[in-house]
Amino acid sequence: MVRLKARYLLCEVCVSDSSSLRLLEEKAIYQAVKAAVIKAHGEYGAALFSIGSTVTYLNAYTGVVILRFRKAHFQLLWSALPFISSIWSQGQKVRCFFNCIHVGGTIRTCQKFLVRYGRQQLCRMLPHCKTEAEKQEVRRAVMSCSLKKFRVDDDDDDDDEEKEET
Amino acid sequence: MSVFMDLNIIAISDKKKLQNIIETAAHLGYSTVAINYVLEPQQKKQQIPKPLSVSELCEKLPIVQGKARPIKVLNRLTVVATDASHFRPSNEYKNFDILAVFPKTEKLFHAACMTYDVDIISIAATEKQPFHCKRSPINGAIERGVFFELSYTAAIRDSTMKKYTIANAINLVDVCKGKNVIMASGAETPLELRGPYDITNLGLVFGLSEGDAKAAVSTNCRSAVLHGETRMTALGIIHMKKKSQPPSEQPEEETPALKKAKTESL
Repeated sequence: MVRLKARYLLCEVCVSDSSSLRLLEEKAIYQAVKAAVIKAHGEYGAALFSIGSTVTYLNAYTGVVILRFRKAHFQLLWSALPFISSIWSQGQKVRCFFNCIHVGGTIRTCQKFLVRYGRQQLCRMLPHCKTEAEKQEVRRAVMSCSLKKFRVDDDDDDDDEEKEET
Repeated sequence: MSVFMDLNIIAISDKKKLQNIIETAAHLGYSTVAINYVLEPQQKKQQIPKPLSVSELCEKLPIVQGKARPIKVLNRLTVVATDASHFRPSNEYKNFDILAVFPKTEKLFHAACMTYDVDIISIAATEKQPFHCKRSPINGAIERGVFFELSYTAAIRDSTMKKYTIANAINLVDVCKGKNVIMASGAETPLELRGPYDITNLGLVFGLSEGDAKAAVSTNCRSAVLHGETRMTALGIIHMKKKSQPPSEQPEEETPALKKAKTESL
């Protein structure tokens, strides 16, 4: 058997106001990417997009999205992503942009990267904490994800949800 | 992992917004940004703007994503030249780390490539370039270590601009074969910035190869910054600094106060 190879783009949706991230839906992101591809590459792009492109994962708290494209032409489809400047979701326009942070061959590598990236975000968050309670909370989160990583080494654990605490 | 730079962030008077942009750039992983002051001499009585010092801008610079160092902020001046008289080297240019020129006519483009003491030549993004890029001036510019800048914000804002940007970019890249090209944002709001990997991929649309596209956001930018540094020194070899002397002592004319050899290559 030959498997169909795909590329997974781990993207971060950056918005100016983090509360608007909650509005995001998989369907809305799919539509936005599709529209951008059609605008950038026309019918050819639409045809390529229609085969094997999905939104695999969406975390509406941290704004992390995994997009799946076919390996053969993911660069063409990726080149449309910078031209997205807003997403229509739940009847509201969310002004945002996509920032690709990792390109992986499997979801698993993306997940591993995401855990590492999430921990890095927590460390970046620490100096911005105002109160001692917040600091403790972030420290606890950092410790929890690093210890878990240490214990089970490469087992599935996806605990970057704590990021939304502060 | 290479160091990414964004050498074009438009200077806006609102300090809060500028800080916001710098913060976003740090979050995206850019370790150096340059704040761009645009000088348009055809508008009468326009003074050369005074660059804000970095400490004045924000007291605590944000930490770059994935690194331990804070972001580095430079100042850049872009002279929009429609006439030969517009670009005249003066002492005020020396306040800026990087000097760029935006030639509007073919003659000025030729002069900018061959003779002007600049680091960056901007390529039009909002209109069709009124002249054709010839091989000889561009080769001259590459030999002198001057870089060509493509900015992508106009392409994001508007679809007509996108056509012009892509057309001009491909026009340039065809002639210079992907060498000495840098890509910068030209952003005025935080939401107009894009991540470095996205820009690398966008380079493929502009006709750059993968390696050239990556160099366009990293190594070429570094070379441009170093080129800017050498402009202040004598060919990057000797750097002279005035030593603050106590007033009682007689200043000695024969020996310079302080000679410092710099080992950077051009």
